[in-house]
Amino acid sequence: MIVRLLSAALVAGFLASVVATGLQLALTSPLILQAETFEGGHSHAHAPVSLTPASLIVKAHAHSHGEAGSEAEKSDEWQPAEGFQRMAFTGLATLIGGVGYALLLAAVMLALRREPTPRSGLTVGVASFLAVALAPAIGLPPELPGMGAAPLVLRQTWWVMTVAATGIGLYLIAVRRVPITILGGLVLIVAPHLAGAPQSIDTVSSQVPPAVAAQFVARSLAIGFVFWALIGLAYGWAWGLFGREAGSRTHA
Amino acid sequence: MTTATLQTSAARSGEGARALLVAAFLGLGLVFVAGFAPASVLHNAAHDFRHAQNFPCH
Repeated sequence: MIVRLLSAALVAGFLASVVATGLQLALTSPLILQAETFEGGHSHAHAPVSLTPASLIVKAHAHSHGEAGSEAEKSDEWQPAEGFQRMAFTGLATLIGGVGYALLLAAVMLALRREPTPRSGLTVGVASFLAVALAPAIGLPPELPGMGAAPLVLRQTWWVMTVAATGIGLYLIAVRRVPITILGGLVLIVAPHLAGAPQSIDTVSSQVPPAVAAQFVARSLAIGFVFWALIGLAYGWAWGLFGREAGSRTHA
Repeated sequence: MTTATLQTSAARSGEGARALLVAAFLGLGLVFVAGFAPASVLHNAAHDFRHAQNFPCH
């Protein structure tokens, strides 16, 4: 069972990440590159910029959220070269993330005792999109580089707590489905937003054009939906595929 | 026969629990590496993915 689960999750993560990588390179990466030109000389993964004292000062200001020092030091660190290498690493990260998501989806389906099929996989995939992509995006909208934000650890903590609360909430509502759990589920889903996300976007000094930021948010969520839906569909499909193969081997 | 069935289902649920742990552990590990790991080499490599998938980034 472990082998079947791991194989199906690998296949699902691979298929979904191939599509998601294509979508990211076509839809979001160009906007990220565009936003980086507004990032006040702070270089992430783009062409080396000359490190004049002036650019360091701008950099420190661009990251006045407690990390200015470490960010300035980071410019010496390795980063993928512009162009193909950067695209390849985006693809690799998407593959790692996709397989990770597929394994978590597999674990959830196993815990729920749902036989994975494309249909049940899609259901869990869409629920995962709601919990992992949509719910945190309400408080922390997908950000472009250079938009400035609250300290990273705060945002990561809120992100993880929101994902967990929304996931458990959806489980209480959709799986348990009795009045008391539905009420509890709703409370869990709403609570992180009532508590409030750490201030995400620096609306005062951000130089990124709002139209570009808006387009990025919509595209990011759309890609997230496709990513999760495909992970669920493909996991259900691959589970059936590896089951048939294992069955025919034991019968032979 | 009943004993055999019970043993099979006990073995199966034990295997299921193990599979669940393996999948959850590996999955969390991979998502951490791709989305959260603070090492700046990993951050730089996964930068565009993190932004596109709305992981909190820099």
